[in-house]
Amino acid sequence: MDIVSLLLQAGNLMITGMVGVFVFLSILIFAVKNLAKLAGPELSNNTSNQAASKSSTGVSSAHIAAITAAIAQYRTKK
Amino acid sequence: MEGLLNLWHATGLANFTIPALVMMAVGCGLLYLAIAKGFEPLLLVPIGFGAILTNIPVAGLAEPGGLLYYVYYIGIDSGVFPLLIFMGVGALTDFSALIANPRMLLLGAAAQFGIFATLFGAIALNYVPGFEFTLKDASAIAIIGGADGPTAIFLASKLAPELLGAIAVAAYSYMALVPIIQPPIMRALTSEQERNIEMPQLRVVSKKEKILFPLVVLSLTIMFLPAATPLVGMFCLGNLMRECGVVDRLSNTAQNELINITTIFLGLAVGSKLAADQFLTVETLGILVLGALAFSIGTASGVFMAKIMNRLSSNPINPLVGAAGVSAVPMAARVVNKVGLEANPHNFLLMHAMGPNVAGVLGSAVAAGILLALVG
Repeated sequence: MDIVSLLLQAGNLMITGMVGVFVFLSILIFAVKNLAKLAGPELSNNTSNQAASKSSTGVSSAHIAAITAAIAQYRTKK
Repeated sequence: MEGLLNLWHATGLANFTIPALVMMAVGCGLLYLAIAKGFEPLLLVPIGFGAILTNIPVAGLAEPGGLLYYVYYIGIDSGVFPLLIFMGVGALTDFSALIANPRMLLLGAAAQFGIFATLFGAIALNYVPGFEFTLKDASAIAIIGGADGPTAIFLASKLAPELLGAIAVAAYSYMALVPIIQPPIMRALTSEQERNIEMPQLRVVSKKEKILFPLVVLSLTIMFLPAATPLVGMFCLGNLMRECGVVDRLSNTAQNELINITTIFLGLAVGSKLAADQFLTVETLGILVLGALAFSIGTASGVFMAKIMNRLSSNPINPLVGAAGVSAVPMAARVVNKVGLEANPHNFLLMHAMGPNVAGVLGSAVAAGILLALVG
């Protein structure tokens, strides 16, 4: 008899516990998503801008210069 | 002659009892597992040696006045050591995988079903003669399913200190056995096709997000579950020290020296609970069985949740990552990566599994808080 009531309590605890864990972590998901809106995109925009500017100007032109110089050198050697 | 006889009565040989010898053998067994097999050596070496020291006759190391008694009293009875370790774990944890994909928290929540199902199982075990688990005992045993040593020790010290030795040994042994326990369950519950699923690369996480994350977690805990604040609070402090970038010295101490010193004393104190009269009981066998059950159910429910999320979500989710929801950082994530690579040699799931893995740490701390609030 006693075990039955304990089992009922345990079952109750199982349901409340799982609901509690899910509700708490769902609220946390919501909070972290908002956190990303507040603090996230700003930096990722910056990095993508930097990467884009680097590839469109500095790096590629330097590459082109190096390649043309190498071709010119190769041709003069011949 | 009488002096010689008195000297003989003061020797260990004259005072050995069979149960104490058995427990010293258990201690040697733990040392063997740690040294020869590499099972959680950082903990099992001090625990195993502590078990030997505790059971030395006459010396009374674990009785009032003995060294181990005080180490236990100061560190575990008060709950201080597990919390200091938790601060170190916080300082060692990188949450970026979870911040990049916060839905993984659901997997960390689902895997906690292992805890609550085992609680039910522990009470059901009372039908077997010889077992008399109260709701507090059952809760302390069930937390083994959280696969988190400090959380298990913290909760056991509050709810069922007499079972602490068996619970800690079971928790750390099964954490070492994660690579053996999890893969068969993961393979049985997923199809070859599901194990092949590749997941999109995670976005970059800003420093600001990483700094604010522990503060957000802490404020939610303060509002909704203050019973979990000892664990979550120390964890968040460690993580904030790591991410804020201005207290590297403190963060390094929490990650290295402090966690190492605490681990030595925590292990010894747990070992002091491996006294024959407390450990050599049927209940210990029950705890070992229930612990394995808790791990298996946690793994399975994590995988099931990941399967459901994969069906419902627009982004593919490999169901294997659900298994990492049982914390056991970083072993469970490595196991996921390994099983994923077996199915598809180009599929690296490690970073994706770290999300649910660290979510599992938070999940088990929250579950411990709920158990403390409802049962404690």
